[in-house]
Amino acid sequence: MTALTRALRLTFHGGGLSYRALFNWTTPPMFIGTLLVSPLFQIFFFVHVGRTLGVADDRFYLLGNAVLATSVPCVYGGIMAVANERRYGTLGAVLLSPRSRGLIWGGRVLPYILNGFVVMVFMMGAGSLALGLPLPASALLGLAQVFVVAAASCALFGLALGALAVRIRDVFVISNAAFTLLILFSGANLPPAAMPHWMSAIGSFLPLSHAITALRALFDGGSTAGIWPSLGGEAAVALGWAAVAYGLLRFFEWRSRANAALDVM
Amino acid sequence: MTAYGTSRGPYRFWRLMAVGLRTHVLHLSRSGVELVMAVFSPLVYATLAVYLFRAGDHPDRLLQAAVGAGLMGVWSAVLFGAGGAIQEQRWMGTLETLVSAPTRFSLVLMPITFATSLVGLYSLVATVVWGVVVFDVPFAPASPWLLAPAMLVCVVALGMMGILMAATFVLLRNANALANALDYPVWMFSGVLVSTASLPQWTRPITWVLPTSWAARAVQAATGGGEVLRPSLVALGLGAGYVGLALIALVWVERRARSAGTLTLT
Repeated sequence: MTALTRALRLTFHGGGLSYRALFNWTTPPMFIGTLLVSPLFQIFFFVHVGRTLGVADDRFYLLGNAVLATSVPCVYGGIMAVANERRYGTLGAVLLSPRSRGLIWGGRVLPYILNGFVVMVFMMGAGSLALGLPLPASALLGLAQVFVVAAASCALFGLALGALAVRIRDVFVISNAAFTLLILFSGANLPPAAMPHWMSAIGSFLPLSHAITALRALFDGGSTAGIWPSLGGEAAVALGWAAVAYGLLRFFEWRSRANAALDVM
Repeated sequence: MTAYGTSRGPYRFWRLMAVGLRTHVLHLSRSGVELVMAVFSPLVYATLAVYLFRAGDHPDRLLQAAVGAGLMGVWSAVLFGAGGAIQEQRWMGTLETLVSAPTRFSLVLMPITFATSLVGLYSLVATVVWGVVVFDVPFAPASPWLLAPAMLVCVVALGMMGILMAATFVLLRNANALANALDYPVWMFSGVLVSTASLPQWTRPITWVLPTSWAARAVQAATGGGEVLRPSLVALGLGAGYVGLALIALVWVERRARSAGTLTLT
C-alpha cells in the first residue's frame, strides 16, 4: 500500500467509520425528525412570517432556509465528530495515533458535507413542491456548486467548534448557541436592506451568508459564473474556519497532554 | 387508596409539587443546554423578530414581536424540557425508580413539566426586557393588569400540555427526534409570532386544539389589545383536557413500557 493509498484510506474510510460511530442522528427517527422534518417546517414557518409581515416573498425564504438547513448536520455533526470521541472514551486512542492530524480530522468532515448536501437537496425539492415554486433545470449546476461549498464551510465551522470539545465538557451548549446565531446572522431570514451593518459584518465571517447570497443571485437570473465571487467568499470563510479548527485541535491536544486532562469528564 | 386520597392527601400533594418544582427548576438552571434554550435563543429570536417587524413596516407592533419571541421560548422550554426530562431520567437510570415509586408517576411528572414552563417564563420576561432596553420598544401593554395573569395562564396551560408530551415520551426511545420536529409547527399553528389568518383553512382545527394558540392569543391580546379572559379560559380548559388525556395515557404507556421492557432503553 503506497503512502497516497494509505492517506486516502485514512481520510475516506476513517471518515466514514467515524460518521457511523459518532454521529448519533443516523437512526431513521432522528434523521427524519431532526434533519428533514424540522428544517422543512422552519422553511414553512418563515415563509408564513414573511407573507404575514410582507417582508419578502416565498422564494426568498425557501432559498435562505434550504441552505441554512445544512447547519443541522454540519454544525452538530462536526461537533459530534470530536466531542463523542471524548464521551465514548476513545479520544486518547485517536490522539495516540502517529498519523497526520489534518488527514484524521479532515476526513471526518467529509461525510457531514455529503449529509449536508443531501439535506439541502431535500429541502429545495420538498420546499419547491410544497410552495409551488419552479426549480429551473438551468439553475441545477449552480445550485450544486452552492450546496457543496455551503456544506463544506458549515462542516468546517462545526469542526472548529468541535475542537473546543477537547477542553470543554459540555460543548453542546456552544453548538446550540452557534446554530441559533446562524439563523440570525446568515441572512436567511432578513433581507440585506433590513439587516444592520454590524449584523451583516458578523455574518460575512460566519458560514452560509455568502452561499445564500450566491443562491439568491442565481435564482434572480444570474449566470453560474456570476455567482463565483460570492462562492469564492464562502470558500474563503471555509478555509478560515479550517485553519481555526486545525489550530485549535493541535493547541488543545498539546494542552490536554500537558495537563493530563484528555479523558477527564 | 394511595395517601393522596386521604385527609392528608392535599398536604402531601402540594408538598410533592413544591419540592419537585424546586428540585427540577434547580436542576434545569444548572444545565448549560437548558440555559442556552431559555436564556440565549429567545433573545436571538427576539432580535430577529424586531428586525422582521421593522422590515415589514410594523413599528407599532414591536412589543408584540418581543412577546411573540418570548412565547416561542416558553414552548421550546416545555417541549425540550418535558422530552429531555424523561430522556435524562432514562440516561441517569432513575426512570425505573420513578415509575416503580409508591407515588403515582403522573404526580411525579407534574413538577417536571411545570418546572420547564416556569423556566420558559423567564424567556417571556427576558425578551420583553431585551426589546425595551436594546431596541427602545415602548412598554405600553393594552391591558397592563391582565398581562401578568395572562402570562401565568400561559405557563400553567403549557405545563399541563407538557404532561401529555412527557407521558408519550416515556414510551418513545427517540423522544428527542419528535421534540426536534415539533418546535416550528407549533410556533406556526399557534400564531405565537404572527397571526394564523393567512394559513390554509385546513390548519384551523390544529390551531384550535393547541393550548399554545389560546395562551398566545391571551398574552398578545393583553399586549396589543383584545379579549384576554376567554382565550385564557379556553387555554386552561384545553390544558386540563390534556392532563386528563395524560392520566389515561400514562396507565397504558406505563403498562406497555413495562411489558415491552423498553423503559430504560436509550
